[in-house]
Amino acid sequence: MTPELQQRIEQIASRYPQRRSALLPALHLVQRESGGYVGREQLTGVAKLIGVPVSDAYGVLSYYSMFARKPIGKYHLQVDTNIPAMLVGAEEIVAHLEQTLDIRVGETTPDGLFTLSTVECLASCGTCPVIQVGDRYYECMTRERTDALIASLRRGVLPDMPVTANFGTTCDVLLKRRGTPNATSIEVYRQTGGYQALPAALAMAPAKIVAEVKASNIRGRGGAGFPAGVKWGFLAKNTGKPTYLICNADEGEPGTFKDRQIMEYDPHLLIEGMIIAGYGIGANLGFIYIRGEFAWIAEILERAIAEAKREGLLGGNILGKGFDFDIIVHLGAGAYVCGEETALIESLEGKRGNPRVKPPFPAVAGLYNCPTIVNNVETIASVPFIIEHGAAGFTKFGTPNNFGPKIFGISGHVRRPGAYEYPLGTPLTELLAAAGGVVGRFKAVIVGGLSVPILTAAEAEHLIMDYDSCLKAGTMLGSGGIMVMNETTSIPQVALRAIRFYAHESCGQCTPCRQGSRTLAELLETLVAGRGTSADIDLVGDLCRTIKGTTLCPTGEAFAMPIEAMVTKFRDEFEALVR
Amino acid sequence: MPQITVNGRVVEAKQGETILSALDREGIRVPTLCHVKGLEPRGACRVCLVEVEGFRGLVPSCSYPVSDGMKIHTHSERALEARRTIVELLLADHPDDCLYCQKSYDCELRSLAESLGIHQRRFRNTSEPHKLDLSNSFIVRDEAKCILCGRCVAVCNSVVVNEVLNFGNRGAKAKIICDTDVPMGLSTCVMCGACVQACPVGALTEKKAMTKGRSNETRVVRTTCPYCGVGCQLNVQLNGEDLVRVTGVENAEPNRGSLCVKGRFGYDFPYAKDRLTTPLIRENGELRPASWDEALDLVASKLKQIIAESGPKAIGGVSCARSTNEDNYSMQKLFRAVLKSPNLDHCART
Repeated sequence: MTPELQQRIEQIASRYPQRRSALLPALHLVQRESGGYVGREQLTGVAKLIGVPVSDAYGVLSYYSMFARKPIGKYHLQVDTNIPAMLVGAEEIVAHLEQTLDIRVGETTPDGLFTLSTVECLASCGTCPVIQVGDRYYECMTRERTDALIASLRRGVLPDMPVTANFGTTCDVLLKRRGTPNATSIEVYRQTGGYQALPAALAMAPAKIVAEVKASNIRGRGGAGFPAGVKWGFLAKNTGKPTYLICNADEGEPGTFKDRQIMEYDPHLLIEGMIIAGYGIGANLGFIYIRGEFAWIAEILERAIAEAKREGLLGGNILGKGFDFDIIVHLGAGAYVCGEETALIESLEGKRGNPRVKPPFPAVAGLYNCPTIVNNVETIASVPFIIEHGAAGFTKFGTPNNFGPKIFGISGHVRRPGAYEYPLGTPLTELLAAAGGVVGRFKAVIVGGLSVPILTAAEAEHLIMDYDSCLKAGTMLGSGGIMVMNETTSIPQVALRAIRFYAHESCGQCTPCRQGSRTLAELLETLVAGRGTSADIDLVGDLCRTIKGTTLCPTGEAFAMPIEAMVTKFRDEFEALVR
Repeated sequence: MPQITVNGRVVEAKQGETILSALDREGIRVPTLCHVKGLEPRGACRVCLVEVEGFRGLVPSCSYPVSDGMKIHTHSERALEARRTIVELLLADHPDDCLYCQKSYDCELRSLAESLGIHQRRFRNTSEPHKLDLSNSFIVRDEAKCILCGRCVAVCNSVVVNEVLNFGNRGAKAKIICDTDVPMGLSTCVMCGACVQACPVGALTEKKAMTKGRSNETRVVRTTCPYCGVGCQLNVQLNGEDLVRVTGVENAEPNRGSLCVKGRFGYDFPYAKDRLTTPLIRENGELRPASWDEALDLVASKLKQIIAESGPKAIGGVSCARSTNEDNYSMQKLFRAVLKSPNLDHCART
């Protein structure tokens, strides 16, 4: 390792309260500087510099899918093949690339120019198929666009291939600035009413902020729907330790691409929310843990943070009110399970993203064993509105116990897939109409990201999109990622693709998740290949039923309900595959 | 003091302890695989799940703290079904070669399967073919048999602090690695064998114990390690007069199960051909075998003679580093109190 590289790693390490947190950023840096992979020597160097055992560092390196341990091609083409992408032909793009480049998935072209991989959901569900090349996303890919991309890369140019992403809002809260040119700049943010809530918040007592958020009844937008104000109330007090705020921007639930809409197009909204939330809970340091694939969105956030610092809105003595707050943007490295808050904390501490046993909960012992609040991007981005308009302003949207606006990401077989901000409690039919309606005959829908039970078209007909109504209808609102399927969709194929995702993303700690997902994948592979029996279908159902409530973390059992629902509700499709 | 109910029986628990710790004290047995006594619970294998009234999911007894009024069912239908399924899942990734496995009679997975009434596979076997790592002089690794309980990682990092073993990869591809995933024999392993002793299955075994017979054919003799003065407690397994393996005695001072490479694996000397089995007396430049009585009488008479001629300061003793503390103590007592000589030293002093 060059002294210059060592110095850069030292610089990163100095930003964190604990040095080990610099492990992931250091590995990212070394990988970039060493031609796209981290070899044994480099790893040993990083481990020594950070001060962790080399076996431990290797455990971290090999945990995250974005780190390569062997040389790869100059351009790493990563095609998202998860369900939203699968529904709109990602497999055809993969086949086309295999043919064009004359390699199979996992291989590198003999000239060392291209490596082809398939990857899990890249949160481009509304703009699928998507190919990630290095840090860039190429969306809405067709055969023609793929050819153009390859041709350009052969010339050594990462081309600009803009897309028009659909959106709509009836609330003007979270997607208010979507469509406004330059909305990521602080000037435009201010001109359109931004940073109005912050001075008001800093004039309030912190307890009043917490009380207002509690009164708004905002339920956590990450998927679980736990009231954010109540979560803040769990914070351990007078511990003599610092309190940390973490924004969970590890958006990876298949079908979900809502947080990205905020960070990509309105980063200051999130930053203003973080400062206010930090002030409310008594934190002086906040982190935005953003999935590694979003490196380019992290840059947008970094620029916005620098702007806010220049204007005295972030850093020491904010607006002269004596409150200090800083934000560190921390990149993940490819691990769905890091969206689970304790796994996220472990990852932020520079470890494998293994969820922790609970209790203790993060509000008592979280990051560096200190009281910590982890909130989703959408939750935190709602805070400025709650402060500016009061809880009463917020509860004008939605239905009792399900207040506020919500970004629904609609993907799959609809005419205008995209991000739509509607009040909670909006009928599903209205959202589908906003997305241009279903293409073909509506067959089934998954309404809350992949980890919720699928609904048949009949079950979805009168569905109201809020937490309580979805629960009553036998599913969950989750992240609000709506995946629409028409009559061309094979549910056994969807089930197989789903379980392969969970098997790939399992952290591997607990038996029911690690081996349960693998065994289910094996069973579903057998069924889809036409080699299964009715008993295998029963076994899938039995295993899903038993696994519920046995895993170490909620993500571990996330596959049980959706797969069980698929084999139960669409049993005839599975039976048709049985000899 | 929290009061809990276990299977209908009221039990006094201690503030802050885990459910498992309370159950242990009451003699209520709940199986565990990943748990290592005295270390932070991982809650990973999930075989210790119990049902607690009012909880949606099952609760890992190894990591969950007791609270007053908790109503626990350790062997409810739901808990048993979950436990059985979890063991069945572990078996789905485990080879079927118990017949040939060194661990066969001490295998915790096998014993757990038996106790849960599992007699056949419900899930197809997806285990990988055997991948034997024979690179280490004393330890054999078989990745195919590993159930990822993590006990080896726990003892390597938190008990002996050699920090060689860890988890690599993730999900179904997760495995135990040495350093940067190199063969064990090329790693920084110091061969203390703590991982072997911790392994519940046949994934880590003693190379020297291969072909020496199964544990049901052996008898165990507890003894003190002869290598140094620490006095580590050993369990020596013997098959007839053949030494099969040595393990550290758990829960016994001073080593609490730990051993070093010599204590655990350096046991060839009892069978060495040039080993001394009787005292030897040198006469006319030649050594001849003698009885202990004859040899000791000779030493005693010579000491007496020297003391009579030149006083006790004319003699001195050098004690042995390989003898126990108790023997060294006796040695200094002999010299200082009986022979009245101040000249006493120890071979390990430098």
